[in-house]
Amino acid sequence: MGITGNAFLRLAGTVASAAILIAGLAACAELPRDPNGTTERIRRTHEIVLGDIAGAPRSPAAERILERVAGRLGARVTRVEGHGEDLLNRLEKGKVDLVYGHFAQASPWAGKVHFGSPLERRRNAGEEEHVPRFAFRNGENGWIALVEREAR
Amino acid sequence: MNRLPAPIREDFARAKRLEWQTLFWMSTVVAAMFATMGGSQAMRSALIEDVLSLVPAITFLIAAHFEPKDPTGKYPFGFVRVNSLAFLVAAVALTAVGGFLMYESAMTLIMAEHPTVAPVEVFGHTVWLGWLMIAALGWSVAVPMILGRIKLPVAERLRDKVLHTDALMQKADWQTGLAGIVGILGIYFGYWWADSAAALFIAFSILRDGLSNMGIAAAELLDGAPRELDSSSISAEAQRLQARLEELWPQGDVRLRESGRYIVGTIEGVHPPDDLPKLDELMGDDSAWRLARLSFSPPQALRREDVG
Repeated sequence: MGITGNAFLRLAGTVASAAILIAGLAACAELPRDPNGTTERIRRTHEIVLGDIAGAPRSPAAERILERVAGRLGARVTRVEGHGEDLLNRLEKGKVDLVYGHFAQASPWAGKVHFGSPLERRRNAGEEEHVPRFAFRNGENGWIALVEREAR
Repeated sequence: MNRLPAPIREDFARAKRLEWQTLFWMSTVVAAMFATMGGSQAMRSALIEDVLSLVPAITFLIAAHFEPKDPTGKYPFGFVRVNSLAFLVAAVALTAVGGFLMYESAMTLIMAEHPTVAPVEVFGHTVWLGWLMIAALGWSVAVPMILGRIKLPVAERLRDKVLHTDALMQKADWQTGLAGIVGILGIYFGYWWADSAAALFIAFSILRDGLSNMGIAAAELLDGAPRELDSSSISAEAQRLQARLEELWPQGDVRLRESGRYIVGTIEGVHPPDDLPKLDELMGDDSAWRLARLSFSPPQALRREDVG
């Protein structure tokens, strides 16, 4: 053997300890933090700014999720109506917190904003299929995780 | 026919087994990384590095298939240098990919793109994908760490550059895994730039591997003097051999070069002596099998003075 039994055990021990540490971290983990502080700002201002795409049929599931998220953060929902492109642009700049609409996962906006999972139990929606979902500002991982948890 | 020297046959067979094991275990790493990659640039770079780390193992196995074959009419010197050729190709690929990844990571950093790592559903539970990424990266640390440490002494005994590079790349692999974990933890704590910075570090490590391998491959291509496995300096073994040959034939010009794992020597300006010593004796206390051929070129040999 090119590696002695003791050295192997030491190595395996180190790797196992690291795995346990990481598992422990994961178990007691809170949500990740937002680099632009969306969640913290909502907690502070008590306001969620929702971009509502004009003409998109309202979804009862989306309403339920918004209500639960607002309840958790002690906030109210302020709706801003507009066209898709305008609202997604504002989302990218951080002027709205999330946008509700019917989006395809393969949308050209997919790299610029993050599309959440399909709402209303549409788990197996095709890439090109327009389904109701929320869009988020890229990288706001804590905020995305908070809304997505309520959506499941 | 097995044209390998008897003293290295066992290690050679072991090296082949180790490389097959590498392909299997590193494939599990690649699969785990691919399944959890998400939107992280560091994960993407680490995945590409893990895929690239299969190249030296494949190179070794291809070379090991050809190396023991008999010379043919078209290849009268046999196939001992197949691994040098494969090694050069792999080094160029590594350098190109490293350069591309550095550009991509630097652009992500400059454009201040914020990586999104969303939660996913696993067996009915919602888990932040970052934790799964860290678990996959942990696996990508453990596997190469163990394999690399097993391979290094075998590579040294075989004087095998490809196997040695493979062992070193596995060291780079597990360091990459750790850098990736730092990048994901950075995302968790809200530092968007940590991910691209880790990706940049990983890309730099790929590029450095590629450039150093290209240097080693070029030395052999140019009939350079035998090199140390872990540096570009002339190997101590070759220097000792050179000194012994110069002592035996002080009037000659001793030239040594590397051919695959072997040393080939020529003594210029000297007639072949009547009582030729055995190759094994010329190597002194060093591994006798390394010196594969020693030829003498008499003073009146036809050669151009303005070449070589």
